[in-house]
Amino acid sequence: MPKIILENVTKRFDKFVAVDNLNMVIEDREFITLLGPSGCGKTTTLRMIAGLETPTEGRITIGDQVVFDANEGINISPSKRDIGFLFQNYALWPHMTVYQNIAFGLENLKWSKEAIRDRVAEMLALLKIEQFEKRYPSELSGGQQQRVAIARTLAPNPKVLFMDEPLSNLDAKLRLEMRTELKRLHTDNDSTFVYVTHDQLEAMTLATRICLMKVGVLQQYAPPLEVYNNPANLFVADFVGSPTMNFIEGVIDQTEGEDVRISAGSLKLRYHPVSKSGSLTPGQKVVLGVRPEFIKIEETGALKGKVYSTLPSGMETIVKVELGDIMLTSVIFGGVDFEVNTPVAMNITTEHIALFDAESRDQVAMGALEHV
Amino acid sequence: MSQLNKKRTANNVKSYLSKPANLITILFLVILILTVVIPLFTLLIGSFKVNGNQEAIYIMQEGVEDGSFTFHHWTELLTSKEFDYASIKFWTPLAQSALMALLACVVAVGFGGVVAWFITRSDLPGKKFISTVFVFPYIMPSWSMAMFWENFFKNTSINAGMGILQSVTGICVPESMVYGLVPCAMSLGLHYAPFAYILIGGILRNMDANLEEAATVLKASRAKILRKVTLPIVFPALVSTVLLVFSSSISSFTVPFFLNKSSINSGNNFISISVQMRSLINTGFTKGQGYVIAIVLMIFSIAILTLNNWFTGKRKSFTTVTGKSGQVSLVKLGKARKPIAIILLIITAFFAIVPLVSFAMESLLEVPGDWSTFTLRYWISTEPFEGSNKGDTIGILMSKTMWQAMGRSLLLAALVSVFAGTFGLLIGYAVASKRGSKLATLVSNMAFLPYLIPSMSFGAVYLALSYTKGFTWLDGSFFLLFMVGTIKFMPFASRTGTSAMMQLSGEIEEAAIIMGVPWRRRMTKVLFPIQKSSFISGYLLPFISCMREMSLFVLLAASYTTLVTTLLQEYSRTGLTQASNAINLLIIVVVLIIQFVVNKLTGASIDKGVGG
Repeated sequence: MPKIILENVTKRFDKFVAVDNLNMVIEDREFITLLGPSGCGKTTTLRMIAGLETPTEGRITIGDQVVFDANEGINISPSKRDIGFLFQNYALWPHMTVYQNIAFGLENLKWSKEAIRDRVAEMLALLKIEQFEKRYPSELSGGQQQRVAIARTLAPNPKVLFMDEPLSNLDAKLRLEMRTELKRLHTDNDSTFVYVTHDQLEAMTLATRICLMKVGVLQQYAPPLEVYNNPANLFVADFVGSPTMNFIEGVIDQTEGEDVRISAGSLKLRYHPVSKSGSLTPGQKVVLGVRPEFIKIEETGALKGKVYSTLPSGMETIVKVELGDIMLTSVIFGGVDFEVNTPVAMNITTEHIALFDAESRDQVAMGALEHV
Repeated sequence: MSQLNKKRTANNVKSYLSKPANLITILFLVILILTVVIPLFTLLIGSFKVNGNQEAIYIMQEGVEDGSFTFHHWTELLTSKEFDYASIKFWTPLAQSALMALLACVVAVGFGGVVAWFITRSDLPGKKFISTVFVFPYIMPSWSMAMFWENFFKNTSINAGMGILQSVTGICVPESMVYGLVPCAMSLGLHYAPFAYILIGGILRNMDANLEEAATVLKASRAKILRKVTLPIVFPALVSTVLLVFSSSISSFTVPFFLNKSSINSGNNFISISVQMRSLINTGFTKGQGYVIAIVLMIFSIAILTLNNWFTGKRKSFTTVTGKSGQVSLVKLGKARKPIAIILLIITAFFAIVPLVSFAMESLLEVPGDWSTFTLRYWISTEPFEGSNKGDTIGILMSKTMWQAMGRSLLLAALVSVFAGTFGLLIGYAVASKRGSKLATLVSNMAFLPYLIPSMSFGAVYLALSYTKGFTWLDGSFFLLFMVGTIKFMPFASRTGTSAMMQLSGEIEEAAIIMGVPWRRRMTKVLFPIQKSSFISGYLLPFISCMREMSLFVLLAASYTTLVTTLLQEYSRTGLTQASNAINLLIIVVVLIIQFVVNKLTGASIDKGVGG
């Protein structure tokens, strides 16, 4: 069964490094999303695994076959890697009907006419596009074209399926619908999915593991909730989650056993680490990362501020609160509408507060926070 | 009530005309009716009436006099069996021209298409150089290839003087390789190959590479991808190219004019339909029959364009879905990389650079191929050449006639470029801001019409007009040349203008309107600067086309309005090959310098637009 291994994969375009020394193992039947802002090398990575792009250095293995090795000069053509690829713009052939588009790959595999007909019919039914069989791509809407592209990719039953932002051209409603269907397809098809997106919500909801990249360098490779709750560095913390994490800059004043005292502007805080991955020393510049849902607005609380703005959306409300010279974002469940400048009290009660080193920008501890 | 209605109508008209786009549309509707539609009608009428007393005498029918209605031109040219008249004067030339055009298509599309594929889709080294030099023959006047062909292949065995091939290798090719159908077709094909390259290359470059990659992933072989994916998608562009090259070639005048000589009586009598048309029009007896040919050629072109629109407008036509086309994976040529590059380089350089050398050489040798007869007199002599009956045929750099003609050509090209370019820009503006409006589409189509009319026919149209009562003041005038040039080359400008304007979103102008910027400032300060290089291409194309145009002006230029191209034709006709080669080199150098300077200064270039 296919397990994909990337070892020290690097891709350079002239002097520009698109992907820098990437190491990654994709287990069989995983749903991996390659996530990152545009230009971070995620599409290049996907295309290198698929064989559409040639890495400058490194080694790629799919299953027990080495498909690329720069040192040994191995470079297996994409047609021999037993993969499926779903393009961002669908890449449907404009001169072929829906039926011909889906049947093309099967013809290349020398399937019999009847087998092709049956399989195409099956795919058309699966994606609910039976009525478009005889149409040309230009006569379909974006969503319909996307279904045809999926049908074409799935028809030969590839063991590994690569998708390059397949939902980015769809409207919000359709995108949500297709996400559900893709997740179903993944479980129904027993195959490995590698999915490129810049939409962190898409990555969170679909993936079994997220591979977050920034300018060609892997930032964190972990399950979505792990990425969300235990971000490896400031970039990851900032990129994942909406509304974004609150960042409070401060300096460590002194250590008290395990605990440290931090002053952030006028705030004096005590931080209690639950897990530590770096050192905490007095004088160290740090950044506290607090997810908005951990800032609770309550009758009484240790932190006092006033409402800057309220954005109620029905199910939840985003409240921005001014706390001296610090602005905090809080998300509360349900619809509340505060008047601007209403004084409010807040509590932060969680052990999921991240502490980052301001210099290295890496996470040094997770823990709890207390106002002194 | 009626008072109110009147007021309402007046206000409607006022508000309609207060929009510059509407005003421009109406203005150009009128201009184009006057300059395109009316002359076309004149031509049509000219083919049904007796044009002048000589023609009346020639027809020799009772009651026929100057100006009277007759079917004679059509019936005689198309059906007369007397001395095989219709066959010799019309059907044979037409068939030969069609065959010539077909062959030219094969050469142009084959050569241009293959180069386009290598440049856009493979990792060929030296692409930039090849693609720059490859367009050269297209920038040269259309007959340059024909002249080069003659210079290269002519030989003493057919009494044509020694050509390059013979002087280098001693090989004498048979006459059919020097003059006639095949050489004409080859010259045209080579001239239009860059045109095919620009069109096909454009599609290949814009074609989404994902379409091919999708097929690769689905395990299709290279050959199958080419056959099942690439070719069908490029097919409409291929068809367009074939049709446009065909329609330009069949009516080409200059190439057959240079290569239809036959120096010994070999039965090699290739006469193209356009050469035939000219000889019919030039005698006073058969003008009407010449008009008939002009109309036939025009019908050909229009039929071809209709066919083209039908082909490209089908339901499975190329849909542009924009995606990540930036990531084109190029076909690796492997070991063949270098050899292919070298072969292409040699072929490209041969057809782009060797012609220039050959023109220079021809102009410097008294006896072609014989270096002992080296002379500069065709350039700088102040003595008339012996044997010439023209008083002023002295070294071209010393010739007042030549300099006057050159000056006139430059002035004409500059005026034509300014007017055609501006008209094109305005039409583009009107079409783009009135997207989908029927009137704007009509104006845009009418502005494109002159492109479809073969240059010779277009010349004939205006010739017919200048013989019409009330318009005789036009005959042979500089103004006539200017008007014809402006209208004929406007399609290039209006095409580039329209596509450049279409790329600008309406909001850009609307933002300026809301801020109260007047129309003239919006054009000059907002719209023009954004698409500067495209618009300048819209000016450059008419200039260059006009500078090197011969067929269009050859019927219209009088002795006092000689242009440099018609002078060249005159020299060639009287057998002063050296002088005509010298002038040709001069024209090419002037055109190349101007093109180079404009390109360096503004970034505009000829391959940004589509020319014929």
